Amino acid sequence: MKHNNSAGFSRLLVIWGITLVVVAICLGGTLLLIERSKLTAIPVAPPPLPTAANPSDTPPPPQEVNLFLLDATTLTLVPIKIERRLHTNDLTKRLNQVVTALIQETPPNFRNTIPRGTELHEVYIDNQQTAYLDFSSHLTDGHIGGTTAEFLTVTAILKTIFDAFPDHIKQVQILIDGEEIKTIAGHLNLSQPLRLTQ
Amino acid sequence: MQKIQERCVNRDAVPVKIGALFLCILVLAITLKGIAQAPTVRFIDADGKIIAEIPAHHQGEQVYLPIDAVKQVIDPRATHQYNHPRKRLTLKTKGRQIRLQMGKSAISIEPDGQTLTLATPPITIAQQPMLPVNFFIQLLPMLNNVEVIYNSNLNRLQIRPKRTWTPAETNNTQNWAIIVDPGHGGPDHGGASSTGRLEKNIVLTLAKQLQERIKQQGIQVHLTRETDTQKTHFERIQIAKQNQGQLFLSLHCNASFSPHEKGIRIYLNNPKGRIRFPNTTKPALIGQQLKVLAQVNFLKQSQDFAQALQTELNFLTETPIQIIDIPLIALSETYMPAVVLELGYLSNFEDLEKLSNAEYTASVVEAITRALQRYISFINQQTSPTAPEE
Repeated sequence: MKHNNSAGFSRLLVIWGITLVVVAICLGGTLLLIERSKLTAIPVAPPPLPTAANPSDTPPPPQEVNLFLLDATTLTLVPIKIERRLHTNDLTKRLNQVVTALIQETPPNFRNTIPRGTELHEVYIDNQQTAYLDFSSHLTDGHIGGTTAEFLTVTAILKTIFDAFPDHIKQVQILIDGEEIKTIAGHLNLSQPLRLTQ
Repeated sequence: MQKIQERCVNRDAVPVKIGALFLCILVLAITLKGIAQAPTVRFIDADGKIIAEIPAHHQGEQVYLPIDAVKQVIDPRATHQYNHPRKRLTLKTKGRQIRLQMGKSAISIEPDGQTLTLATPPITIAQQPMLPVNFFIQLLPMLNNVEVIYNSNLNRLQIRPKRTWTPAETNNTQNWAIIVDPGHGGPDHGGASSTGRLEKNIVLTLAKQLQERIKQQGIQVHLTRETDTQKTHFERIQIAKQNQGQLFLSLHCNASFSPHEKGIRIYLNNPKGRIRFPNTTKPALIGQQLKVLAQVNFLKQSQDFAQALQTELNFLTETPIQIIDIPLIALSETYMPAVVLELGYLSNFEDLEKLSNAEYTASVVEAITRALQRYISFINQQTSPTAPEE
């Protein structure tokens, strides 16, 4: 009888031990996968090719672009590499593609700092190398507010653009529905073109 | 038959050993966790520098420190005698004898003949006499002519030179008009927590508490809004100008895209901050640029006030508070030293709980008031005719 009890207890311990090992392996595996996903460039299917004016035009090759997104762990903006077939000849179109990608991308473990649903109406670059980005009003209406959040939104836009176009764009002005704005959420002053302090 | 039985026993022993091993690991992990979280009480000075960090014992909600803490914090030459059978402790420090009885709240101080009742009595732990934190909070002001502030959440005890507003200083402060600006209001509710708490209400409540506390110090204070109404930046600045404000403190609550981001932040309006305006602007904005530059003339004083806030508020937080320079719309046309104080993140559960805790918000109000006193004293010293020339 005693032997039976002891055997039952041992079985229980074995089950308990195996369960713990399995849980530990699963946990380790999950953490490993999370770490790997951070290091890997996000596989994004290249968007449809730009319509060629001339059927004989060859499609532009995919290019790497850094999008600055918020790392949910370190709470800093980090560059995330994606591939895009960028227009080779038209700087304005390339800028439009990069900012649109920044709006759309939200890989796992990263946070997009532009409110979901914001649209980019138009972009324009003047001869002072100022890029004007005309967003839909959802950038302000859909913003969560707070100085930090506003700072992150603007910094992500600036870092992405200055990283992608270091020689062509010196400053950026944000517009909403074609109008200059003073602020996104009541804190940061956006009444003038902005630069980043290195 | 015996061999088969032995084999059975051995086979049974293996899982028992595995189980025992797991148990050991579990016990070890819990012990290590306990060691890693061994509580200490940190004694810091008025500027936030650590004077001593002393291992403490927790019993229930009370925190106790060994006798050695007296030497480290009150007087390095202090001596003590402990009578084990009678559980009586005599401390000799600064020409005084402090007599304590373990388990009793009353203590006597000789030769003054003073008696004092401690909020918590001293006790023995492992046969050693231990002093409650209250001993230091109550005794230090009597022995060293200092004031003591205790943060029970962070086990942090700040010792600062005792200073009261002298009549002369009070007269000076009468000239000071502080503008406290509770951000947002009316339909502009600012940030909102997942539980429905609105930034505009949190900052207004705190602003009113702050107004009350600052007035008690003999300093004039005006709010840019007293009710839940919407005010433009221009209207807020007009209120500051009409009341001849000399310092503008804008109160806000923060938010981030990550729920993990937390803490207090201090922002300064600097068009050449982390994000900056270009050096040259288009002609249509020249007038506005001139105004921005005029506000920048107060940047040094704004930095001084931000540092005073940082020093005082650091006492309440686990991580040092950051001061961040960026172009701010709320302060862009405020022609006086000005600071935006973000009290905490509504997107962070911990900060939200703190901002809902009356004890915490009262400690924030106290810290801001002390920061104002620190800043005003600093400015008065600089402008005083007897101040040494640099």
